Amino acid sequence: MTGERSVNLRGSYGPARDHLLTGLFGTEGLHKLSVYKENGGFSSLRKAIFDMTPDEIAAEVKTSGLRGRGGAGFPTGTKWGFIPKNVPGPKYVVVNGDEAEPGTTKDRYIMENSPHMLLEGIMIACFAIGAHQAWIYLRGEYDGPFRMLTAAIAELREDGLLGDRPFDRDYPLDIGIYRGHGAYICGEETALLESLEGHRPQPRARPPFPAVKGAWGRPTLINNVETLSTVPWIVKHGGAEYAKFGKGTAKGTRLVSVSGNVQNPGVYEIEIGISFRDVIMGLAGGPPPGRQVKAFWPGGCSAPVLPGDWGLDVSTDLDEVARAGSMAGSGGIIVMDDTHCMVKAARRLLQFYAGESCGKCTPCRVGGDWALRTYDRVLAGQGSEVELGIFDSIQESLQNGRCLCALGDSAGFVIASTMKHYRSEYEEHCIEHRCSVEDEVVAASA
Amino acid sequence: VPDQELSGKASRPTGGQAPASKPAPSAAAPAAPGDKPGRPPAPDTVTLTIDGRSVTVPKGTLVVEAAKLVNIEVPVFCYHHKLDPVGACRLCLVEISPGPPKPTTACTTPAADGMVVRTNSPLAVESRADILEYELVNHPLDCPICDKGGECPLQDYTFRHGYPTSRIDAPRLHFRKPIPLSENIALDRERCVLCYRCTRYYDEIAWSQELTTDRRGIHSFITSQFEEPLQSIFSGNIIDLCPVGALTSRVWRFESRPWDMDPTPSVCSRCSVGCNVTLWQRRHELVRVTSRENDDIDEGWICDRGRFEYTDVNSPVRIRTPRVGGAPSTWDSALETLLEGIKGRKLGIFLPQDVTNEELYLLRRLVDGPWKGGRVAIEGRTALPAPTGETLTIKDLDGCKAIVVIASDTAEDVPIVNLRVKKAASKLGAKLIVVHPDELDLDRRQETHHVTVAPGKAADAVRRLAGHELLREGPVGILYGDGRGTEDVDELGKAVADLAETVGARVMPLYRATNERGALAVGLDGRLEDLEGCDAVILWRAGRAPSTARFVAAWDSLPRPEQERADVVLPSATFAETQGSYTNLDGRVQFAHPVLRATLPLRESWEVLSEIGQRLGVEGMDYLGVFQIQREASGLVEAFAALADPPSGDPAPTPVMHGPARP
Repeated sequence: MTGERSVNLRGSYGPARDHLLTGLFGTEGLHKLSVYKENGGFSSLRKAIFDMTPDEIAAEVKTSGLRGRGGAGFPTGTKWGFIPKNVPGPKYVVVNGDEAEPGTTKDRYIMENSPHMLLEGIMIACFAIGAHQAWIYLRGEYDGPFRMLTAAIAELREDGLLGDRPFDRDYPLDIGIYRGHGAYICGEETALLESLEGHRPQPRARPPFPAVKGAWGRPTLINNVETLSTVPWIVKHGGAEYAKFGKGTAKGTRLVSVSGNVQNPGVYEIEIGISFRDVIMGLAGGPPPGRQVKAFWPGGCSAPVLPGDWGLDVSTDLDEVARAGSMAGSGGIIVMDDTHCMVKAARRLLQFYAGESCGKCTPCRVGGDWALRTYDRVLAGQGSEVELGIFDSIQESLQNGRCLCALGDSAGFVIASTMKHYRSEYEEHCIEHRCSVEDEVVAASA
Repeated sequence: VPDQELSGKASRPTGGQAPASKPAPSAAAPAAPGDKPGRPPAPDTVTLTIDGRSVTVPKGTLVVEAAKLVNIEVPVFCYHHKLDPVGACRLCLVEISPGPPKPTTACTTPAADGMVVRTNSPLAVESRADILEYELVNHPLDCPICDKGGECPLQDYTFRHGYPTSRIDAPRLHFRKPIPLSENIALDRERCVLCYRCTRYYDEIAWSQELTTDRRGIHSFITSQFEEPLQSIFSGNIIDLCPVGALTSRVWRFESRPWDMDPTPSVCSRCSVGCNVTLWQRRHELVRVTSRENDDIDEGWICDRGRFEYTDVNSPVRIRTPRVGGAPSTWDSALETLLEGIKGRKLGIFLPQDVTNEELYLLRRLVDGPWKGGRVAIEGRTALPAPTGETLTIKDLDGCKAIVVIASDTAEDVPIVNLRVKKAASKLGAKLIVVHPDELDLDRRQETHHVTVAPGKAADAVRRLAGHELLREGPVGILYGDGRGTEDVDELGKAVADLAETVGARVMPLYRATNERGALAVGLDGRLEDLEGCDAVILWRAGRAPSTARFVAAWDSLPRPEQERADVVLPSATFAETQGSYTNLDGRVQFAHPVLRATLPLRESWEVLSEIGQRLGVEGMDYLGVFQIQREASGLVEAFAALADPPSGDPAPTPVMHGPARP
């Protein structure tokens, strides 16, 4: 939205050659190394290795203003800068491909369309921080991406790009894949590391941060699939070029996956800064005819819900979403229309969080389950003012650093944000034992 | 049999060993207030403010420990000062500035200069109360029948930090219970607060991954691997570690309420390590043994032998009356029969391994006097000779950069030394070499360098260790045993001494019998086989009469088959009724206190020995109490110098270890 640009960008679904990330998607055989190379693939890696020093690569990434696409939105260049230099012993790059956030499918979209783009980004990151080994921690259910990445890595090994001497340089590189076993918590970076090491996936207390003491106690860079997939473009065109896209401190483009009550669900590449109305009503076609957007989760269900009325006009800029009381998160936009009961929706989400709690810290382990059982009681028409109080105190005790990791916070966000915007529905359920939204009276009792 | 002559006052039977007279650990505590185990404090200090009180602590001290120093209780479940912090229970939330305006775990945050900690701000107080409410959501609240009730941090913290009212009326989660984790330990998963102290202890301290967590979320529970019974000899410590009644001793389960017992601080009598313990008495029965932290020796851990093997003391078949010729008798006639029977005969005496220094001293006097020529053997004695010069102490292991363990399965021989070696290796970064025919539990860590030797050939392997790359950085500690009798100790001792000389190491001979060093100190250090050929024997809770014996006296606490041949049977006190002291393998003299009173016809052993002396006309054997013996022995036996100054009053026992519990 600012300055002269080298490409023209629109929100998209399907191939559109102008896009930074997804421009090549849809090219016949893009998952093959030969086709990827024909389309300019691995030129960024070559440039990084031959024409740039590791510090220059990191500087470009920093200039680009790229912020992590996994959910927290931490500046990627800054994170790379945390990796200590000149320490003896191995360092690792770990790729978070455990995309388990409900409503988020963008990493899968990348891996299935252009596995080599991710691998190139990983290799550049390895070179930039001085790592020789990378691990892709892949969501266990992602069978397709697993097979495509496995084949792609085999191609790279055969080609020599992975191995002892890529580009005939004395810089051994290898990438391994580790498949998860179906736990949401493995998307949390320290739990991911525990799982990668073969332990129970439970978050670690920080500090020490993974940048200092990560996988097997070594300095470790953990980045999301989309984040690393963006790196080749930045290296090729320069960080300043990338920074021309976006808004405020949130630069570039990102993938959003729109799901729920919309007519055209799917993954779209958007320039950061367009409004949610543009995404939901425009790209995704809005809710079914005759319905209104009641609410939407702007960044996966771990982001606090925003109401449809004013929320749609919020910009996708990370800071502005935060100011609106939510998070841009993983870019998984879940849309709910006006036929749905918010208390029921919150209950369903709590079922997810209570079920996925690893059990390590007390508030998340007990609080999530207690909230779920309280929802059940309320929905069975047995609620009272006591239950409102329980919801209130549980949401508070799950947030604000009281849990060991962000999973507890997310469960707290669900309760807090639905109560904040739809308190009347809660009161209706708890006190009057009915649900006007679904136009049915919950069986009265108690 | 070596000449067992105690030559009057100039008694240096063991060579110049140093008396153990280090200050008690509690006295030295302020220097290093429970900083994270394995990380010695940096020399510099930091000053912070906690609830308005200023406190200066060594750099690296955790906020939770700093708070203890100013008597501020930060409640904890998962934090334990001997385990690495995890920040899992979230009960220690406090507000710390500078920092983000949110509660922070005091157990994972190191103190920093200028830090301002608020444990009593509304946010901090509410954060902790919320956690306590959570802990009770599914807790069975069966406190009236819970073994922990009365000494339970969950009760105490709820009382002091929790909400006064309860909102919990939902059905509670249930688990099958109790689960027998082993013969000795029961697990109640409903009471468990999932602090992971037990699993972390197994991983970090015991190196034996038998305990883990299964399932996830609210359904998480502690379980033994593959539901197999726990095998580790160190399993019982998880009972002390458990902050609730989830892990209880099956030996003591439902035996008594904690407040219904009287604790006595004492010393374990099961091996030469000398772990400090608390013995718990109820209605003249010994009902429980728990650890009593002494960082010089045991660091708060005891082994299962010390913890669970005490029930014999309460046995209904305890021998309490003297018997002569199979018929009940009196002490008077029993002692007369005894002295008559051994008169003019070649006497042999078998001592139990937990004979006290005081009893040894009295025996020495008898063997120097009327029983001259008599032979004395101590049960469980290794083949190791008396130490020459100062030995490496257990505490010294913490400072070792490399440790060599030779010809001893330490987990079996000296269990708590084994844990100290593990700590040095895994937490303090010491290199570890094990020389043994078998794979040992010290080999569970990949970094351990194991040298496999044929039994009896350890000396050769030790000679080859000189110049080993792992021994380049000192200080080096060498621990060696006698291979349970398979090694030629003269040769091994020489090889060890040579290696110590070469690499500049200090040596810890691994004596096994509880008071072996005490026996060595007075020269009563025969082995059981030395008594072959005696024709009159006294079997004091140990040994077997040789075929040559024509007179057998059994001085025992329980019936044993050996007593069938006995002409006279005397009732013997056990460790629970014994006042006295043991010399542990460090050479440290430690005082045992009787938890049970020896009431007639049971008599304390020193009293019996002193009466024997009087009956035999030995000058000055009419001791009025054990203190008199201690004072006398301290002047005559250098190793017993510490007996001159018995502790005036032992520190208050800590019945169960948990975090700070001072309101």
